[in-house]
Amino acid sequence: MEAKFTEAYQKVAEEGKETDCEKVAKLLNSMVDDEASAEEQTFFNSHIEECVSCFESHQKQKLLKGLVSGHLKRVIVPESLVLAIKARIQ
Amino acid sequence: MSEQTGKQLSKEEKDARFEAELLPVLDPLYNFAYRLTLDEDDANDLVQETYLKAYRFFDYFEQGTNAKAWLFRILKNSFINEFRKKSKQPAKVDYSEVEGYYNSEDVEGESGVATTTDMRTESVQDLIGDEVASALNALPVDFRTVIILCDLEGFTYEEMAKILDIPIGTVRSRLHRARNSLKEKLEKYAKNMGYNS
Repeated sequence: MEAKFTEAYQKVAEEGKETDCEKVAKLLNSMVDDEASAEEQTFFNSHIEECVSCFESHQKQKLLKGLVSGHLKRVIVPESLVLAIKARIQ
Repeated sequence: MSEQTGKQLSKEEKDARFEAELLPVLDPLYNFAYRLTLDEDDANDLVQETYLKAYRFFDYFEQGTNAKAWLFRILKNSFINEFRKKSKQPAKVDYSEVEGYYNSEDVEGESGVATTTDMRTESVQDLIGDEVASALNALPVDFRTVIILCDLEGFTYEEMAKILDIPIGTVRSRLHRARNSLKEKLEKYAKNMGYNS
């Protein structure tokens, strides 16, 4: 899947024309990051309704984002830090 | 001249405003610093440095604007300009310097930085978190940065462009490569955990 995705992305640059699957591949991040325009969303959503492979790529991309946002542990700020900052600005 | 510019404020007022507006960002800022430096002491120093600079330039900070993005930008600049030179961690290649060179290639993290997180294995959640952390830590710092800003801190592409001082198109392409790289590292693990779709 990864190789296919990269290959698709590179092919675009070479040939300068895109298939719908290639366009969708390029929109994956904008979609999961909520950065796609209304027009892009409509195109994306109607394509993944028909294309299993792109639908799966979208699921994977959401999963990847979720792994970072939902599972990466936050480190605890040491209590001394806020005191150190306040002391240094005095 | 608005009444809100800091120049007319007494030191007490300035300090109060500084604490009220900027100290709430301490937690995400420290986490960002830790993910950049991968060291708690270094993160501590970097955050202190950031707040000192912010205090020095607080008069130029417009009240009510994006304090979080402003502090993240200061921290990122401190990290790039000064901190990395004296850091205990050997500086990795700054991806922005080689971005054009590697333009059409997948960039692999050049070194596998071992995770420094506490390896308690209380639950599956912890295991996944550890795995994500070690995959992320193994990425080049510029890749790690965009993923943290986007996925952990929820900044928009526009905010990321301002924090990192790069065009939005570069944010997009860097994020694309960063996620591909992270995906590769996590894919095998995700499959083993039954996450493959």
